[in-house]
Amino acid sequence: MALHKLLRAAALTLVLLFFLFPIFWIVVMSFQTNEEILRLPPSLVFRPTLANYTALISGHLQTASGILDITFLHNLWNSILLSTCSVLLALVLGVPAAYAFARFRFRLGEDIAFTMLSFRFAPPLLVLLPLSLYFQDLGLNDTYIGLIWIYQLICLPLILWIVRGYFEDASPDIEYAYRIDGHSWWRAFTRIAIPLAGPGIAAAGLLSFIFAWNNFVFALILASADKQPVTVGALAFVTASGIQYGQIAAAIVLSILPTLALALYAQRWLVEGLSLGAVKG
Amino acid sequence: MTGLEISAIHARFGRHEVLRGVDLAVAPGETLVLFGPSGAGKTVLLRAIAGLEPGALGQVVIDGQDVSARGPEARNIGMAFQNFALYPHMSARDNIASPLVARGLPADEIATRVVEIAQLLRIGHVLSHPPRALSNGQKQRTALARALVGRPRVLLLDDPLRNVDAKLRYEMRLELPRLLRESQAATLYVTQDYREAMALGDRVAVLRAGRIEQCDASETVYDWPATAAVARLFGDPPVNLLACRPVADPAGLRAEAAGFRLVLDASAEAAGKACLLGLRPETLSLAAAGPDAARLEVIATTPLHERLVVLLRAGDGTEIVASLLGAAPAPGAHVHVAADAAAALLFDAASGARIPARRVMAGIAA
Amino acid sequence: MSTTVIPTPAKAPARPLLPRLLPYLLSLPALIVCIGILVPFFTAAWYSLQRYNLAMPLNREFVWFGQYLDMLTDPDFWATVRVSAVYAVATVGLELLLGLGIALLLRERTRFNNIVSVALLLPLMTAPAIASLMWKLMTNPNFGVLSWLVALFGVHDFRWASAPSSAMFTVVLVDIWVYTPFMMVLLLAGLRSLPQQPFEAARLDGVAGHFVFFRITLPMLAPYIVTATLFRMLDSMQQFDIVYAMTQGGPGDSLMLFQVRAYLDFFQYTNVGTSAALMIVLWALTYALSNVFIKQWLKLRERTHGAA
Repeated sequence: MALHKLLRAAALTLVLLFFLFPIFWIVVMSFQTNEEILRLPPSLVFRPTLANYTALISGHLQTASGILDITFLHNLWNSILLSTCSVLLALVLGVPAAYAFARFRFRLGEDIAFTMLSFRFAPPLLVLLPLSLYFQDLGLNDTYIGLIWIYQLICLPLILWIVRGYFEDASPDIEYAYRIDGHSWWRAFTRIAIPLAGPGIAAAGLLSFIFAWNNFVFALILASADKQPVTVGALAFVTASGIQYGQIAAAIVLSILPTLALALYAQRWLVEGLSLGAVKG
Repeated sequence: MTGLEISAIHARFGRHEVLRGVDLAVAPGETLVLFGPSGAGKTVLLRAIAGLEPGALGQVVIDGQDVSARGPEARNIGMAFQNFALYPHMSARDNIASPLVARGLPADEIATRVVEIAQLLRIGHVLSHPPRALSNGQKQRTALARALVGRPRVLLLDDPLRNVDAKLRYEMRLELPRLLRESQAATLYVTQDYREAMALGDRVAVLRAGRIEQCDASETVYDWPATAAVARLFGDPPVNLLACRPVADPAGLRAEAAGFRLVLDASAEAAGKACLLGLRPETLSLAAAGPDAARLEVIATTPLHERLVVLLRAGDGTEIVASLLGAAPAPGAHVHVAADAAAALLFDAASGARIPARRVMAGIAA
Repeated sequence: MSTTVIPTPAKAPARPLLPRLLPYLLSLPALIVCIGILVPFFTAAWYSLQRYNLAMPLNREFVWFGQYLDMLTDPDFWATVRVSAVYAVATVGLELLLGLGIALLLRERTRFNNIVSVALLLPLMTAPAIASLMWKLMTNPNFGVLSWLVALFGVHDFRWASAPSSAMFTVVLVDIWVYTPFMMVLLLAGLRSLPQQPFEAARLDGVAGHFVFFRITLPMLAPYIVTATLFRMLDSMQQFDIVYAMTQGGPGDSLMLFQVRAYLDFFQYTNVGTSAALMIVLWALTYALSNVFIKQWLKLRERTHGAA
């Protein structure tokens, strides 16, 4: 028995080490100067500095060849704007649609659900490459609106998938009772259906935000230079020459901090959303 | 015209026709029990009346107004569901107040009426609790309070006592008729329990396979069921139905089955036809050997309340259930059993319809 | 006496317009998004039938299935197929084993296990492209902690993503880091939702541990395993972010997965026709596979809903 427990503890330690070490290490790097980073063997004992973060925030980077102006913070702002607005729009559009699919049986609903489901696994570039041409023609390629609209392709199917399941699970009798009391269907929808599907809507919204924030390829293809979110911005940042490694690490930390914080804060909904999305639906 | 009148209600789900033309009328203050086996369409009918069944056809008239085209919120109906359907995120008080809030009544009037109905239903002390903190009995009474508080013209109660424990069910069976009568609403009460149907209903409508097979006072449905199916639904243990072919007799018809020989006051048109003889278990009794009594073998006995339910087997293998008073006969013993001819029923084997009595006197149901 | 029934003709009551239109109104936005998906899709299909290069717009011509036939004889195409298949099988296979193992370790509902399973979700929450950057830093030959670690074990000058021989290994490693938690979450949810009775019965009967695992646990877990595997397989063969962020498809052609190749075809070589054709082929593959998946998923959903 003791051997069993020892093995289990060893296995868990290895697993935790593998999955958490990279994050830990990058955070450590972000507080190191270039000299400390380049020093081998790597050490955990050093004097931490905030210079990398202040450089990023101020936008002036000290490099080997002089001062470089990089607005990484602008990328961060783009990410916040794009993800938040996309999710909000997707919720406004998606929750009523999920309700319609759950409560009414109509042919169009089944067709839409089927289309969205079958395109869930379609290669993004299939749609994005022609879209990039359309975007240029329609003049959408330097706008936030265009991006937010395209991000619906990420958020909306997810919200439909998860929230529909929640509406289907809720007994319609409660809404019926509310309508028999004399309330209109709109009030039954807003006062009964939505509050009772709250956890599902939260899970779907959270997951959509994370997927939108982490998205790379949509922004790579369709976002113009000053509308790029952190995922694309970080890559450009890295390939720019002469950037200090500590600053790269700090940029990475800033890029992943929001989603990690959200995940920890709302973990209950997150686990539900992930397994719901693929298992319970 | 007052109260509830429905006509020609049809409903189907896909290919399956659930309701095939239902007509009913319920007067204000009257309780009509909708009784039937599961799957008969009782809940669908209630929902069609409430306006919750989008595919239903037919006409619903409440107090003379045709409400068939209106949504459920415009029909002035109160409904209590089997699983209570209380709003989980509101207190009991807010649940009950909901119909009054929908009408836009002033807050103090709402408060007064809620307290009034809660005290009537003895849940005044739990008004501030959410539904999950209530017992099933309290939930059911909250649901009833919500249905009643708006003083609706029509009350639809979908088996409200089903999920409530036995003791409370009996208490409510005593209280409900008074409550319903005082509300002056036309009440449609759904149940699968025939005893509940007889206890609560002024009249009983038996719904089977989407159609009303009989709609009468409860004793009438029990004593004079319109079809063999209705007879089987009412009664516990269920009626014994024995195949027979009656022959004409000066006093009516003589039917023989499983050793019983009875002369029934039934119309002669059934002579020679394949029929079913209906003997209710409680109309059988142990008797002395005789030409009219059946000699049956006792298979098993089991007590049921103050009576004894005995499973018997006739010489030809037919199994018969009797509900007797007195001491239990030993299994394996042979006993003689007589049936009360006056209480015996005769049904046409093909159509299931009951064969009426020879003489139909004005005003007597036969 | 039964109520006399006067048959009345059944008529549909005049129904107000709004409730009937309601479902359609509510799903209008979703419909628009669907159209937004379908229009580019058909455009891509149309482009795939043409030889169309943005740099040579005048040479644009219809060749019907010519490009598809060319692909079949193009060694680069088959290289892409091979690379994508290797990537998909390696990542999904390893993630399944690892994810299952971790899920089994964390099966019991204890506070500790719950904390660990949430902590293990963090890699899944990072953007795959950013994860690639993280690992790029860690495998830097000059200062990367992993390069140093590996040197301790006697492997010097391990080239990680800079050498064709080890590039696949590196990106598969990153993929495993990011996506194993996904497998873990699904399989853990599946494990915890299994009914207890068969296991209790096995314990009462004194059945050996590994027998229980292979004959009871695994078969019951099968739908979840299949669902998770198909789900990840479909995503993995289309991987773009990790590979592009790491090497943009290099070194050489060693990491030219489907979407990476299509991206470069389109933006580097401005070849609209071939990139569209490649994507249509990929779409066809994923469509076929996803139909299998959807059927499995629906079956699984029925089962969990039935048990609920």
